Amino acid sequence: MRKKLVFIAIILLAAVFLSGCTGAIAWPGLAADGQTAYLANTTAVHAIELKSGKELWSFAGDDTGFKLFNTNPSLYVTTPVITEDGLVIILDSGNKHEMFAINPKDINQETNAPAVAWKFTGAEGNWIAPPLIVGNRLFAPNADGNIYVLDMEDGQSLKQAIKVIEPFLNSEGQPGRLWAQPVSDGERIFVTSLDHSVFAIDLETYEIIWHEDLGGAVPGGAALGSDGMLYVGSLAKQLEKFDPLTGEHKPVLDTKGWIWGTPVAEGDNLYFSDVDGYFYSYNIKEEKLNWEPVKPDNAITASPLVQSDNILLATETGSVYSIDSEGKVVLWYDELKDGKAYTTPVSSDGYVLVAYLETDYYLIALNEDGRQAWTFPAQ
Amino acid sequence: MKNTSNKTQAKQVELPQGFSRESLKTVAVIAILVLAFTNWNAVIAILINAMIFIYGLVGQNFGIALILFTILIRVITWPLNAQQMKGAKAMQDLQTDKDWLAIQKKYAKDREKLAQEQMRLYREKGINPFGSCLPTLIQFPILFALIPSITFAIGSTPLSILKLSRSVYAFQDVAALVPLNSKFLWMDLGLPERTLLFGLSIPVLALIVALTTYVQSKLTMPPSTNPNDQAAATGKMMSIYMPIMLFFFSLNYASGLAVYFITSNILAIAQYAMMGKVDWRNLLPGSQKK
Repeated sequence: MRKKLVFIAIILLAAVFLSGCTGAIAWPGLAADGQTAYLANTTAVHAIELKSGKELWSFAGDDTGFKLFNTNPSLYVTTPVITEDGLVIILDSGNKHEMFAINPKDINQETNAPAVAWKFTGAEGNWIAPPLIVGNRLFAPNADGNIYVLDMEDGQSLKQAIKVIEPFLNSEGQPGRLWAQPVSDGERIFVTSLDHSVFAIDLETYEIIWHEDLGGAVPGGAALGSDGMLYVGSLAKQLEKFDPLTGEHKPVLDTKGWIWGTPVAEGDNLYFSDVDGYFYSYNIKEEKLNWEPVKPDNAITASPLVQSDNILLATETGSVYSIDSEGKVVLWYDELKDGKAYTTPVSSDGYVLVAYLETDYYLIALNEDGRQAWTFPAQ
Repeated sequence: MKNTSNKTQAKQVELPQGFSRESLKTVAVIAILVLAFTNWNAVIAILINAMIFIYGLVGQNFGIALILFTILIRVITWPLNAQQMKGAKAMQDLQTDKDWLAIQKKYAKDREKLAQEQMRLYREKGINPFGSCLPTLIQFPILFALIPSITFAIGSTPLSILKLSRSVYAFQDVAALVPLNSKFLWMDLGLPERTLLFGLSIPVLALIVALTTYVQSKLTMPPSTNPNDQAAATGKMMSIYMPIMLFFFSLNYASGLAVYFITSNILAIAQYAMMGKVDWRNLLPGSQKK
């Protein structure tokens, strides 16, 4: 009997170990509001005090009942969104499809958990994209192909579910998922999809104004340039420029690799990277690159963090590079513990926050000169 | 029997001293396993590329691609399965062999001598005591590599698509193919399956996995009358624990994996049936005792 049990235990352990050799399944989401950093790191969202790096509380859903087998675990990886009222929108990317608005100012003294202001459970697919808040409405793209429009007045009442794409196969034979935060010009919202599409939706009528195909999946969002045009990168290795009114578009730049992160527009420049590790600075006015693309080291999925005197880039190797206006690259922070950085860094209260995968800590705060201020958990 | 023994000895002449043909097979299997586990990402990449290649051929239906892929895996491992069946049968026949029974009786109190005599008998009869489990061991890397392969291929998070892009060979246009269409019948193959029945969320696919695994192991278990038959005891034990293990796998992982298990189980039953090894009486309660 003992031999049998040992045999079964070995098989089960081997199965669990080997099937778990896939590494992490998603990179964390990160946001900050000047006092607190919110890190969505798979099992929970952690609120971390910026000054000290100490955890204030964590949130792992409102279902605290005992479970013998947790066969439907939550997955918190979507970038939290902080509203003007100070609520934090948290999305569960697991199979429960829950969206919470939590109030960090209302903490339960016994459980040290924040109060849930409202909860939305009407979606049928996974939440990957952070929602966009326009006025008193929240636009939340879901992997089920819908954009759910919620009323921020009372929190959760559904105004509309806009069917943007078919989540499995569209007319071009591509399955679609909405993974990126939309962007708005005040009259429309612009939505990108993994089914190679870009959409414009009227903010008042919720009608799709135009829909264009890019020839490659679009995992990142769109950026509105200083010229009023819309810029979108895709896995087709091209940056495209769209007329936001008509959807008329043309490629403006071929890239060396897939464009993953959302481009960042600052003044007349557009900054973005590709997964081959190249960083691009594109002049919108002159319609040309400011300088030849630079390659700091490895793949870049994060959007660049544009600051007043430099641009910070987090690469897959975990290092952070500083790039000046002339394209000169300097290693700003050297990650020595094999951590991987896929999440866009955040600047808040004088710190640059970088979220990591596959290392001893989930988050590091760097001072303005790139020196480590603290890590979470503390090392 | 003497002829077989002489044949075996004649072949062993070419091998280094102390090495039998069977021990070389064991070393080869261990080498393959070590090679697979030290090149884990390469094994995963091979499986992913095979799946994506079939997906492109069958009109972008990952469910059909997965079923065809399972058939392909079954065809590739057919000789291994056949050898496994042969090995299991040989071990079982040995349990009733008069020489085997004689040494069991003679050396019942001397374990060391008994082991030596058993090894001698294995050599004489050309039986590898690991003959039935070595082919299974070779299949383990395939089974375990399938979990990440299916997870990456279907890709329900950005990181899984990024990892997929690194595993796909240059000749496949992955940028045009991703994201893969994971809809099959009523399921999203990238997520664990649950079906709403009478207001309850039922893991239908996981239950089918458990049922087909149980049926497969029962049907393919050779009948045994010897209560001391270790192989039969292990087989009986596995017919209970394997369905439970695969049920929990299917409950928690992408339903694509459950589709693989079900297809594989059905194909295994078909293969055994084609070889005339299926014993339908095993499904009846108490049939083992007869």
